[in-house]
Amino acid sequence: MKALANAFKENLVKAVHVAEKDAKIYFFKWPNITFGLLLPAIIYLAFSVGRTTEVALTMPGLVAMAALFGAGAIESVALPLERAKGTFERLLVAPISLTTIVIGKALAGFFFGMVLSIGYVLIILPFSGAAVANPFLFAFGILLSAFTFSALGVCISAPFRDIPEAMPPATLLRVAMVFLGGVLIPVTAMPNFLQIVAHFLPLTYAVDMLQQAITGPTVVQAFLVDTMALILFSIVFFALGVLVLERTLD
Amino acid sequence: MKVVVKAQSLTKRYGKILAVDHVDLEVFEREIFGLLGPNGAGKTTTIRMLTGQTKPTSGTATIAGYGIIHESIKAKQQMGVVPEVSNIYDEMSAWDNLIFAAQLYSVPKIEREKRAKELLELFGLYERRKDRVASFSRGMKRRLTIAAALIHKPDILFLDEPTTGLDVQSSRMIRNLIKELNDGGVTIFLTTHYIEEADQLCQRVAIINQGRIVMVDNPEKLKASMEERHIIEISFSPSRDLNDKLKGLSCVNDVSRLGDKFRLYVDDASEVILSLVDFARKNSLKIISINTLKPSLEDAFVKLTGLSPEVMTAEKEPIKKREE
Repeated sequence: MKALANAFKENLVKAVHVAEKDAKIYFFKWPNITFGLLLPAIIYLAFSVGRTTEVALTMPGLVAMAALFGAGAIESVALPLERAKGTFERLLVAPISLTTIVIGKALAGFFFGMVLSIGYVLIILPFSGAAVANPFLFAFGILLSAFTFSALGVCISAPFRDIPEAMPPATLLRVAMVFLGGVLIPVTAMPNFLQIVAHFLPLTYAVDMLQQAITGPTVVQAFLVDTMALILFSIVFFALGVLVLERTLD
Repeated sequence: MKVVVKAQSLTKRYGKILAVDHVDLEVFEREIFGLLGPNGAGKTTTIRMLTGQTKPTSGTATIAGYGIIHESIKAKQQMGVVPEVSNIYDEMSAWDNLIFAAQLYSVPKIEREKRAKELLELFGLYERRKDRVASFSRGMKRRLTIAAALIHKPDILFLDEPTTGLDVQSSRMIRNLIKELNDGGVTIFLTTHYIEEADQLCQRVAIINQGRIVMVDNPEKLKASMEERHIIEISFSPSRDLNDKLKGLSCVNDVSRLGDKFRLYVDDASEVILSLVDFARKNSLKIISINTLKPSLEDAFVKLTGLSPEVMTAEKEPIKKREE
């Protein structure tokens, strides 16, 4: 049992070192800034400027979108770029499992997505006068969203060996999710068949959880559904990402 | 002697392409072992399988007794790997690169800083430790890549084409370093397509061609296996293309041109020397120099693989399609 705990600790420490290295190298790379920081703001402004919708109603969408683009941007850059440059081999020859490497990369994305989401909240809240009814749920929502979207980032960048290959499908998928996941238009206002599609998107559950945290009161059943869905998505995306990466290493 | 690297029937297929074909190898503790072959022969694929970067299609390999598939973490802890293309992070400083490498191998914090300093000094990079690696020359990057591979004091060091693309000075420095590391007890497994490099460095050489090991032996024994062949090196004045004419002489098996000299592979040297004097007189040529040579590792390579030495320096091409 002690050996298992030690092995777990050692792997976690190595994953954190991989995340630190990615943070050092990739956080200020131009694709991260454009796709992670600017794109959510541009999409949000394009749909909210000139409209009378309350900020309290649109803010969950923006925060979830920041988590989606921010958390995924690191992997979309780091994984394919390292494979193209051969630096990914440095990790492969080290005594560290592929799963631990991927956890490290996902941690960097998770941190970037979380920082971006919190950054947007800190900018918007003081100016809009909006209030968060349940700050703990809001923080939990940001954490879980960043975690899930980081796993998604791993999954969609795993098959690619260079940034020009990886970016278009990753961006297309995320933008489609923005339109279908209740960020700009509430899911209930969409046609029935699109509402069904929305249930298969993690962004729908992230927006719902953040919306509940802002408007309150929290409905336990909805909270549980959102939490379970996001955790399930995270596990599936992560496992799929490791599997695809392993298969495309040759 | 203790075997520290062992490959048994190691095979790698990429679809229908057979890159490495049932390779068996044993590398002994503290030896410098060279895998010699032309580009596309399967050297890099073999080293990638031995270092856990790619899974073999079939066969097994062990490093210091640990299976590279099922005990890969333990196996990888025993080795350092220097790939053909330096793969350190350009965006980080030399210091940060070494510290990160040490973290991956769980080197304790105090030890990792001490070790990084030692290695940077050893490789003449300490003054540039804070500079981003992007500003380094190719030779400096290669030295830093080797330093990163040594950060955890591995018992076995794999080097894939360690001097390819480097200037003469950097190449010489790296060869000396390989010898010093080996003197210090590190087992070296290197791949090269430079025959002279294998001859100078390696205690044993495996010749690989088209994914198959053709022969494994000491360079001197490989040369000795050629002793029945005699070589005469001759130059004439005026110097011109005489290959075909020289090939026509009796007892001459093959002719190759090296600059202004011709190398003749013959059965009986004394008989051919008389023929050459006669040949020079008939063609109004003056013999500038004539020497009998001992067979080189290159000659052994040519005999064993049937390839000309020129293919060793040819540009790297994708693996040629080989059917089993």
